[in-house]
Amino acid sequence: MLRTDEILSTIEMLHAEHLDVRTVTLALNLDDCAAPSADHLCKKLRQKILSRAHRLVEVCDRVGAKYGIPVTNKRLAISPAATILAGHGRTAAVQVAKMLDQAAADCGVDFVGGFTALVHKGITPADDIVIKSLPEVLAQTERVCASVNVASRRAGINMDAVHQMGHILIGISEATADRRGFGCAKLVVFANIPEDNPFMAGAYMGSGEPEATVNIGVSGPGVVGSALKRRLARDENLTLGDLAEEIKITSFRVTRVGELIGREVAAELGLAFGIVDLSLAPTPEVGDSIGEILKTLGIQRVGAPGSTAAVAMLNDAVKKGGLFASSSVGGLSGAFIPVSEDATLADAVGKGHLVLEKLEAMTSVCSVGLDMIAIPGDTPPETVAAIIADEMAIGVINDKTTAVRLIPVPGAKAGDLVDFGGLFGSMPVIEVRNAGASEQFVHFGGRIPAPIQSLRN
Amino acid sequence: MPAHEHVYVLNVMSDDHPGIVAAVTGAVESLGGNIDACSQTVLGGYFTLIMIVSVPEHIDPDDLAARVRKSESSTAEYQVLARPALSAVHFEPAESTDRFVITAFGRDQPGIVRRFSQYLAGKDINIVDLYGDHSGDDFVLIGQVEVPNRWDIRMLQADLEQMGEELGFAVKLQHENVFVATNQLRLTPSPQARG
Repeated sequence: MLRTDEILSTIEMLHAEHLDVRTVTLALNLDDCAAPSADHLCKKLRQKILSRAHRLVEVCDRVGAKYGIPVTNKRLAISPAATILAGHGRTAAVQVAKMLDQAAADCGVDFVGGFTALVHKGITPADDIVIKSLPEVLAQTERVCASVNVASRRAGINMDAVHQMGHILIGISEATADRRGFGCAKLVVFANIPEDNPFMAGAYMGSGEPEATVNIGVSGPGVVGSALKRRLARDENLTLGDLAEEIKITSFRVTRVGELIGREVAAELGLAFGIVDLSLAPTPEVGDSIGEILKTLGIQRVGAPGSTAAVAMLNDAVKKGGLFASSSVGGLSGAFIPVSEDATLADAVGKGHLVLEKLEAMTSVCSVGLDMIAIPGDTPPETVAAIIADEMAIGVINDKTTAVRLIPVPGAKAGDLVDFGGLFGSMPVIEVRNAGASEQFVHFGGRIPAPIQSLRN
Repeated sequence: MPAHEHVYVLNVMSDDHPGIVAAVTGAVESLGGNIDACSQTVLGGYFTLIMIVSVPEHIDPDDLAARVRKSESSTAEYQVLARPALSAVHFEPAESTDRFVITAFGRDQPGIVRRFSQYLAGKDINIVDLYGDHSGDDFVLIGQVEVPNRWDIRMLQADLEQMGEELGFAVKLQHENVFVATNQLRLTPSPQARG
């Protein structure tokens, strides 16, 4: 029998603190849809996606209602588009993207991830088609999300791809200039891309995964923030160790809920359950913010000295709690710091407390990288590429996933406010210092070799 | 299984203080009896205990109650009821059910427990545990219930929420596994294993 205090504490977490399951992402392998003609390829893709995913939203809503926990987002992740596009051209790439967009809409999901190329060591003609089609694809579709893996621990950093992505980002930004470069919000450039990440825009289904699987992303920072505030109001003389413990316990509870719902959704759909991703993903909603947690942890201005240590502690405690709660942890599993999606972080940028370089430092101890950051539209492509290279280096050297989701905003300069709407939030355009001073480095191209695995100081 | 042939259910109520269980069990032991099961609750300063006891020799239930009543050393007496326990009285729902938790929070007024319990009774929903108390300005009602699987949970939730709205109560009906998952280390039953 359950105890009354147990029931009450869960009710508090669920209803006062709005615990939710952030995303249920159905990952689907589409390799068997390959076909010589683009029309036939599209027909097979559509058929397979609809047959596997048409019940996803209905099942998520029903299971969510049973437990009284909303599943906020339902999404699809597919195996890399580059694989099925091998032998096709750019027209086919755009056609496939539009079909994916439509199939996602028909399933009632808001995003489909996996318009992906893996080019950490080299670029195949199919990868090249995917990458070059990105400005068109991201401008002409609503729901398609893209990712490009340009670096890995074993391969090093493909600087030719990094350089190309610098230009592509500017290209996407210009192609979606009417939406202030919003197309770039649907593209993530990765080092060590995870095969089972359920979070957008970087979700895709990697190799070694089953035919179809259900991956879960758990609730946001709001629950952790509330737990910390409650503990601080209750007890005196708390140390950072006590607060880390509180984060750990909350993460345990949140993860257990994610796994409970994920397993039931998977069973109802007749699919394998994949992983729970422990990431804390903020939303622009007040209180659902990593920045807010840092403030609760005593960092009065986010970006001040101590910010990196605080994020590191948060990230580590979340993992420890989550790993005990579930044996199926995967994906990105760390605290995200997407600036425009986190009202407190965006505010700190506006006040000049938080700068690009500090964000970069923070990403070395958390997930997932320089995420949802608006930069001036006239930033040279080589400088964009160099920012990517820096972030990739953090991932490759530290053997972790890092990523870049920069949005060059056409016509905007540092300090201008941009609003991407909804979950994507708003932020002031961040200053890029020393723009134009990395050109020669980027132009060398080639590959930064894979790093040494010993003598790691 | 009871330890002895003659089995009784014993109900004891008293104001709460140390030594009640010791006194009651002392009386049972003086008959050579055994405590086969017990559960106690304290609410609003009042102690209540229900026990299944078995004894080797038949005893009139009223005599058993009287003996327990007199076990209190002070002048105050316990209120005690005893009756023979029938092993067949276990309530078994006639159909397959699943465990849910109903919670209601709102400003107290007469009729709250009745309204909810009448609704549940009308749907053949068995209450296995009930708790209600004041919390600040609010009255909190928590029921652990067995819901027949024939019902669509979302319809029950809609009914209960509507009733809550009329009474000024926030009402939720949620499967018990979410409370197990967030509070306990035991595993929730896997959905495949369920019948």
